[in-house]
Amino acid sequence: MAPAPYLVFDGIAKYFGDLEVVAPTFDLAVKRNEFIVFLGPSGSGKTTLMRMVGGLETPSTGEIRLDGQPIREPDRDRGMVFQSYSSFPWLTVAENVAYGMKYRLDLTPERKEARLAHYLQLVGLSDFADSYPNKVSGGMRQRIAIARTLAAGSDVLLMDEPFGALDAQRREDLQIELRRIQQQDAKTIIFVTHDVDEAVFLADRIIVFSKRPARMLEEVDIAAALGPDRTLELRDSERFFKLRTEVLKFVRAAAGHDN
Amino acid sequence: MTSKATVSTAAMVKREPATTPDANIPRAARRSRNQFFAFRGTLSRRAQILTSICASLFVIAAWELSTRLGWINSLFLPPPSVTVETLWTMITQKHLLWNAGVSTLRVWVAFALSVVMAIPIGIAMSSFRGVGAALEPIVDFIRYLPVPALVPLSIIWFGVGETTKIFLLWLGTFFQLVLLVADDMRRVPQEYVEIAYTVGARPFQMLKDVAFRAMLPNLFDNLRITLGWCWTYLIIAEIVAADNGLGFVIWAARRYMNTSEVMAGVVTIGLIGLLTDQILRLIHKRYFRYL
Ligand SMILES: Nc1ncnc2c1ncn2[C@@H]1O[C@H](COP(=O)(O)OP(=O)(O)OP(=O)(O)O)[C@@H](O)[C@H]1O
Ligand SMILES: [Mg+2]
Repeated sequence: MAPAPYLVFDGIAKYFGDLEVVAPTFDLAVKRNEFIVFLGPSGSGKTTLMRMVGGLETPSTGEIRLDGQPIREPDRDRGMVFQSYSSFPWLTVAENVAYGMKYRLDLTPERKEARLAHYLQLVGLSDFADSYPNKVSGGMRQRIAIARTLAAGSDVLLMDEPFGALDAQRREDLQIELRRIQQQDAKTIIFVTHDVDEAVFLADRIIVFSKRPARMLEEVDIAAALGPDRTLELRDSERFFKLRTEVLKFVRAAAGHDN
Repeated sequence: MTSKATVSTAAMVKREPATTPDANIPRAARRSRNQFFAFRGTLSRRAQILTSICASLFVIAAWELSTRLGWINSLFLPPPSVTVETLWTMITQKHLLWNAGVSTLRVWVAFALSVVMAIPIGIAMSSFRGVGAALEPIVDFIRYLPVPALVPLSIIWFGVGETTKIFLLWLGTFFQLVLLVADDMRRVPQEYVEIAYTVGARPFQMLKDVAFRAMLPNLFDNLRITLGWCWTYLIIAEIVAADNGLGFVIWAARRYMNTSEVMAGVVTIGLIGLLTDQILRLIHKRYFRYL
């Protein structure tokens, strides 16, 4: 028997006043430990869908359930990296990352200290631990948000174009790292990106959206084609390249271009 | 041949600045240039202080000259030299400092009362739509009442003691401050609030750790400005109902046309304001280093 889905979008539609953002009805079942990537034209409603999972927005119809429980409000079990990668200007880089653990009573101070050092290291911010966010670059600020969300230790990670402002090398490193964390710590991730390469490299499953109102146009099972382990070699392989071309076709079709 | 030579010269010229070590650049060139009239230009700390002092001296000199040259009757506007002299005799013989202390104390007590009440109420007004809807019209109405118009009522209610003065100062600042606090809270970015909630903060924790902290620099600025208004209302209160304080001193001097004492009193208030403002600015700079 297949395991019950973990995160379920059940009959979702979303309107902002008269503006239809998610077309009725959006249905999706995400398995535990699955890496889902949302791909779609700008303004199609990806962020809105994600905010609904985060509990920051309520669906106009239907409900989203996590482990059987309807989502009503934000909480630590669903961490978010926002598109506008914000950090608190009054906290240093390290304090910002540590803020992710501030309300965790299950961690001892020593444990928090160790985790802080670990995640700062992971995103390459150890040398800037005591700087204030306004003194570091945009890419670094984005990494603060990533580290904070990882430090919070949520089971579900909602990441809205988290690697957008990073240089190519850092981006590749963090993609590999994120995929490793997801496998090792059994995270369930929903990840929005405009980068087809990134989508194919990271995803178990890619959802391609139409223009607004958001409708699921295609569902591409990447896990079946590439397996769970994503390495640099894979990235240069024929298989990867073929898959990428295929997804790119879907994306072009979604944007209304003919291919 | 010719073209080759040109190219190599150009390459050399281009390379030169890059290979010049930093230490060879003269100090003066490395220091940022003072820009007095560039929009948002830079001005060194020293140049700023110098400019402030020069401008102040210029005003004082112009004032002194205009009475010395007889353009203005010094009976109406005593020159700075006379004002300073009077200031000194008032300090040594007429308890000016004690009166200044009394006034300052009144300002701070009333101001503290306003702040302590305005912060929670202002935050509640912008955080909960119900509270906002209930209080906004009331606050807006009272905010527009001219404080001097309420002096008679205040005296009827509280007599001529300290209560009246504190009440009038409170009245003049509290309702303004409430709206300023509410506005500061409203301007806290929604993203900050959402970050707090998604890492598991409860509403009160979000308010305390994030929203309040985010609004603090603006709040501090608004308090600094509101404190200045307190002095305006203080003088009104002390003119009508007091037998001490700077307002009383100024008003008593007026009765005998003693303009130099009036001037000295006014200057004292100005000096207290200048000093307070500078101290608060310094605290702002220290505490909000990250800005
Ligand atoms: N709070 C809101 N009120 C009104 N309209 C909104 C609100 N939030 C989003 N929208 C609208 O919903 C539509 C979808 O927005 P959304 O941010 O979800 O798109 P997106 O797919 O994330 O786009 P992008 O790829 O550019 O980030 C947009 O037209 C946007 O203007
Ligand atoms: Mg978006």
